[in-house]
Amino acid sequence: MQKEEKHLEASLEALIQRVSELKSSIGALIGKLEHEYETLNWPSVLDSFALLSGQLTSLGRVLKGDKVPALKNQLLLPILISPEIDESLGKLTEGRVMMFNHEIPPTYLRTKPQPEVEEKTQQLVTKATCLAQDLAHKQLNNLNKFTSNLMDLMNSTKEDWENDAGHKNSQPQMCSQDDTNLLVATALYGKDLRTTRPRHPKSPQIGMMQAQQANNRQNPVMTKAPSAIKTTIKSAAASHPYQRP
Amino acid sequence: MDPSLHQALKTGIAPLHEYFLQGSILDASKEYLIHRLRGLCDHADSQPEQFNDHEMVFMLSGQQQAPFTVHLRHSLLAPECWHLRYVGVAEMGDKTRQTLVRTCLDVGVSETIIKFLNEMGFRMEYEFVARGIFFHKGIMKVTVTKMFKMNQVNDTKSLEPVSASHLVEVSVVASTSQEQIGEDMKNFAEQLKPLVLLEKVDHRKLQPVTSQTNT
Repeated sequence: MQKEEKHLEASLEALIQRVSELKSSIGALIGKLEHEYETLNWPSVLDSFALLSGQLTSLGRVLKGDKVPALKNQLLLPILISPEIDESLGKLTEGRVMMFNHEIPPTYLRTKPQPEVEEKTQQLVTKATCLAQDLAHKQLNNLNKFTSNLMDLMNSTKEDWENDAGHKNSQPQMCSQDDTNLLVATALYGKDLRTTRPRHPKSPQIGMMQAQQANNRQNPVMTKAPSAIKTTIKSAAASHPYQRP
Repeated sequence: MDPSLHQALKTGIAPLHEYFLQGSILDASKEYLIHRLRGLCDHADSQPEQFNDHEMVFMLSGQQQAPFTVHLRHSLLAPECWHLRYVGVAEMGDKTRQTLVRTCLDVGVSETIIKFLNEMGFRMEYEFVARGIFFHKGIMKVTVTKMFKMNQVNDTKSLEPVSASHLVEVSVVASTSQEQIGEDMKNFAEQLKPLVLLEKVDHRKLQPVTSQTNT
């Protein structure tokens, strides 16, 4: 008997821990929605939902687990009901329930759904039992068909979307790094703009030399003679005492 | 005393720093960028301001020291407006710095400036026409500029585009180093992605070889 009680206590402990985890994540989600609604993004909300769903699943697993005795078989009785404010109860419930009066037990210790909900469920159950077997089968098949159709539709739409996204990525770029570099170099250093005017015309001879070179390109037959001239001029220019830097 | 303040008192010129980021956008996508900028920047309800400037770059090269460059801008829309600007070498800084930083000095001048510069020994190195629109967002200035090569010296009519893109610049001129500015600019640049990648463009890599040997 004592063993069983211990068992129950341990499993309750585990349940309380799971529930309080769940509570704190719900609190975090509510806080997020209330305070960060301006900056909140969908992925972060999805993260919160994923956390909640995971915690709910693990709570369910604990409840269904072998180690937890069937809680259904346990009795829970309100022993003391008083209309006076109970400090310790308030503390335990974080100020939500301040007293354990006659109003509280029916709501908080409810083990069945609310009467109207129960009624509705009952109605549905009777309706379901009324159905003939083959008709139910037919409807089930219909539903399955319908669902699979819907799934196909969604999958194909999803594929289309993904293709679209792929297309977007393959779209031509809106900017080019090379152009940036070219424009900056043009503004700052006059790249490509100086071609018309040599930057440092060192001496008139050099200008002449360039003209010669231009000639060179035009008639490649004359390669030899001008090159000799070029070297002599260059050396003359280098030895010029008043050369500009 | 703060050294920069000391210098300002001594010379009568406050040392200003320009924080800036650069990028470009292909001409075809320019309209998207303009739309976004109109939405993001101040005075969204009025038409963005246009400019059409003729920029001339003058250089003074001495025997010993490195050449000294000034940028002279002449508005073609308001011909009485001349603007002389000196900018220092842009510092890349490390990764913690969000923008390029350079010292800068802006002076409004009159049309006699060209003669004055020539008298001082400055020679015009190159010129181009910059046409585009600019936006303000707080103290931030955003320019979208199309640059044109001039086929004839001093002829602002016959032009040829430099590239198939518009140059996009975001800049702030401030007195001392203020890190918050860089942060704000980075955030702003982030909002223009993927239209424009505003980045710290390394100017050292873009320097033409000839000027490196001369400097």
